[in-house]
Amino acid sequence: MSTAGAASTVKERADLALNDEFLRKAVKFTTERLRNGKKQASDEHGNWDDWRERGRQIRLHTIAHLDYYLNLFADQARANGVHVHFAETSAEAVKLSLEIAQRKQAKSVVKSKSMVTEELHLNHELESIGVEAIETDLGEYIIQLAGETPSHIIIPAIHKNRYQVADLLSKEAGETLAPDTSILAGFVRKKLREKFLEADIGMTGCNFAIAETGSMVLFENEGNARMVTTVPKTQITLMGMERIIPSWSDLEVMATLLPRSATGQKLTVYMSGITGPRRDVDADGPDEMHIIIVDNGRSLQLGDPEFQELLNCIRCGACLNACPVYRHIGGHAYGGTYSGPIGAVLTPALNKNVGEWDDIANASSLCGACYEACPVKIPLHEMLIYLRRRKLEQGHGNAAESLGMKGFAAVMGSARRYSTLVKLGKLGQKLVVRDGGIRLKLGPLKGWNTYRVTPSLPKKSFRDQWGTLEQELRHGLQELDPAVKSRMEAIMRDRDSGGGNGHG
Amino acid sequence: MANQAESHDEWLKQLAEDSKRKQESFMNGIAQKLKRPRVMEAPKHPFRGAPDFWQSFEWPLEERMDRFEENFKSAGGHVARLSDMDAAKQFIAEKAVSLSARYVIRQNQPELNELGLEEALQGTGASVRVWNSDADENWKARAAEADFGVVVADYAAAYTGSVTVLSSKDKGRSVSLLPTVMFVLIPLERLKTRLGEILIHFDEAGREQLPAGIHFISGPSRSADIENDLTIGVHGPGVVYALLIG
Repeated sequence: MSTAGAASTVKERADLALNDEFLRKAVKFTTERLRNGKKQASDEHGNWDDWRERGRQIRLHTIAHLDYYLNLFADQARANGVHVHFAETSAEAVKLSLEIAQRKQAKSVVKSKSMVTEELHLNHELESIGVEAIETDLGEYIIQLAGETPSHIIIPAIHKNRYQVADLLSKEAGETLAPDTSILAGFVRKKLREKFLEADIGMTGCNFAIAETGSMVLFENEGNARMVTTVPKTQITLMGMERIIPSWSDLEVMATLLPRSATGQKLTVYMSGITGPRRDVDADGPDEMHIIIVDNGRSLQLGDPEFQELLNCIRCGACLNACPVYRHIGGHAYGGTYSGPIGAVLTPALNKNVGEWDDIANASSLCGACYEACPVKIPLHEMLIYLRRRKLEQGHGNAAESLGMKGFAAVMGSARRYSTLVKLGKLGQKLVVRDGGIRLKLGPLKGWNTYRVTPSLPKKSFRDQWGTLEQELRHGLQELDPAVKSRMEAIMRDRDSGGGNGHG
Repeated sequence: MANQAESHDEWLKQLAEDSKRKQESFMNGIAQKLKRPRVMEAPKHPFRGAPDFWQSFEWPLEERMDRFEENFKSAGGHVARLSDMDAAKQFIAEKAVSLSARYVIRQNQPELNELGLEEALQGTGASVRVWNSDADENWKARAAEADFGVVVADYAAAYTGSVTVLSSKDKGRSVSLLPTVMFVLIPLERLKTRLGEILIHFDEAGREQLPAGIHFISGPSRSADIENDLTIGVHGPGVVYALLIG
């Protein structure tokens, strides 16, 4: 029961995720595909550890001199004609974005993938002032129609099957679309073409920002980020303050590590370097370009010997695909913008509230697979231990939480109590389920449902399918690296003998 | 209208002042958290760019062509090796007939001005527009309706199977993005081995010389967002021909 033991420490969220059979299969399939792709691509490239070390050194150097490089970037971008802004908090970044939208009298904003805007819940904010925000990455568009948040940093709609997607898109189309991926993608192409051409503002994230020339770099496969930075008259880019690299030469290293680690590609279909708005003589590109540099908790890691390396992250998602826990519970169980091992560390680090988030730090077997997968060698598994220690040191093991944990452990510890609870849940949810989801913002669901919809409990529960899952888990474990496997087994033995961290 | 524009500029100016003030406190805050004084001079960067063993890596031309073709095809693109520009013109004209292209848009590049695509397409029902050749035209719309977009690559990299296109007055970003089918002509002397051989040019050129858009393109637009099923042509061109010339 070691897996159930691990899951019990992520409270309701993992339970909800584990109840969804499709999610479990989809996450497993996708993460394995991406993981195998990465392995193949890194093996084929060769000298992978030398490249990882190089990537790490470049990131370490840049972060260690971040005041110099970020300052240089801001000056150079301004010299290119970009309006550069600084936002210490998410509220400031939202205020700036909304102000620009209002000044431009924008009716709609087309967006390409940006985790920073997810951090800010910016779509929600834009809608609140009557501006339509349209996600244009195919997966992001789908989950936006569903009113959900991304469950994987690279494949955000990993948890939706094509029948669910066809239902969502049919509603949008006003006609029934067949559950065929090329038909569905064809509809989205046509629909979003119109949106690109009408939109007043294009909004993007930023994979890398080149300090020496003030350029911003985007990696993508669909071409929507190019659309967003080419067609609308105004461009707003939201950028984490740590996205900096010194030069274009350094970009070669990032371009070698990022796509291979994310999807196993040698390079994404598009890699675009944007240096300022449209030149006067150009006939496309934005007239006005804003870059908002966002802190929102990032700088808290600076000078912290245990967590500074978090800022080296290049957001590839390789640690998610490598993580045995992520592969079984999926992204939504993590409850923050970032999921998987990176999310487990980044969320509490950015929020500086170890106590509230530490249960996620326990959703890890500390097997080290995340570190081995990381293209810039961030020791995530060690950081997870630091988090657990800090929680204890800060005395965050408060009474209410212990009580909750005890209650949860009691329920999880008894099959009968658990199934009674789930039955109660199935009955109880009838009062709150609407359109297959729970939108109630009361009691324990308040924080969760503010920005997302809790899926309703399925008729066939996770527990009903435990046999299959356990088989798959065993099968999955056999595929693991022998060294990792032996570490995991040691941890499990430890748990069985009542040792370990004492949770679950 | 004039008033509005003026107030917008004033507002931007105000924002710029706020931003510069904020920049100082932002950078001071970083230095403080790093527990040292502000770094005002460029620090020594001993790890700049790719590892040393990579810097001297170069394939002979024939292998560059083979590898480019292999990589571009495996990403779902098409590759043709053609002896000269005339053959490229024939190739595009034949595709225009077989795919019933009606609207063709091309960059205003010297190689394409000399190509004579306009004459070659006469009588096929396809018309050719030249990017930004008329100041009053809405060129983004012309690119969006085009069946074919024709561009000449500024560089290409064999190791990743990528072409690089730079924007200018005569080279629209839209031409390699909005049409359904894209043709990119690659003169062989522009085909390099590594990305680094291309990227170094942008460091050497420096900020002031860079175009607004630098795009590396490595095949047709794609997505695997629905059930991991590969879909081609989601937003950008779904059919991409790389023509190696020489």
